Amino acid sequence: MLELLATRYAYVAFIVLLSVGLYMVIASQNLVKKVIGVNLFQTAIFLFFVASAYVEGGAVPVVPKDSAGPTEVIVSPLPHVIVLTAIVVGVALTAVGLALIVRIYTEYGTLREDVLREVRSDD
Amino acid sequence: MTPLEVALIAFVLVTALATALFRDVLSAIIVFGAYSLGMAIIYTVLLAPDVAMTEAAISAGVTTILLLLTIAKTVRPSTDALFESVNVPAVLTVGAFALVFGAAVLPAIPAIGAESAPVWSNPEVTQYYLENTYAETGVQNTVAAVLAAYRGFDTFGEAVVVFGAAVAVLLVLDREVFA
Repeated sequence: MLELLATRYAYVAFIVLLSVGLYMVIASQNLVKKVIGVNLFQTAIFLFFVASAYVEGGAVPVVPKDSAGPTEVIVSPLPHVIVLTAIVVGVALTAVGLALIVRIYTEYGTLREDVLREVRSDD
Repeated sequence: MTPLEVALIAFVLVTALATALFRDVLSAIIVFGAYSLGMAIIYTVLLAPDVAMTEAAISAGVTTILLLLTIAKTVRPSTDALFESVNVPAVLTVGAFALVFGAAVLPAIPAIGAESAPVWSNPEVTQYYLENTYAETGVQNTVAAVLAAYRGFDTFGEAVVVFGAAVAVLLVLDREVFA
């Protein structure tokens, strides 16, 4: 059990961070904190990808110039590429979400979900 | 699992919990910036320097600036309490999710860095890129080569997504120009 956790420490951290992000999205009443929760959830998944690409005793994915190909063990570059794309798309999504939050604030004057629900039901 | 890795994992877990529990939004944003930096260092330790640089620049940098701009434009609720009250039903739900997910996932995947790691279950694909990248693209960094050469059209699509997001932000904020 303990060995299972120790050899998979990044995956354990992945699951805990996923849960913390999920908790923030569900339980935080403040809309800005909900967006932070989505970002936290997202970085947990990046950790999973990067940990799955890692290989013990490997080198960073930079190959030598000779055409014979690499002689040493190298970590897989492919999950890194996926994560790079996801980070950039994630920040674009965060920007749209925060713009919506600014607009909600100018319309309703609050960032709290419970107050927002009351104001909306009064309309 | 080295002491450095233990310390880094502990750091990100503590900062993540602090982000979730701080009542003051500005404190949560600052702690989240520290969390992103910790994540970037973990990526470096896991031999993903490109991801680490992007995480440090975009998540710790740009996202933090966007969040700070948002609370500058809206409101930072004043509060005396340091921490939020914990929502017990949400904790139970999320805890059950973590337990079930962890019990299902952890025994099923190989240890970190093992030869049987998920990515290496089909080594020909990764090996193809490692062996042919320099000959085919003239770039030594395989991550950059896949991003800009092999998957150049995907990266173009990504740029379209960012452009679309910029247009959406301007539309939502009811502005024709950046100001």
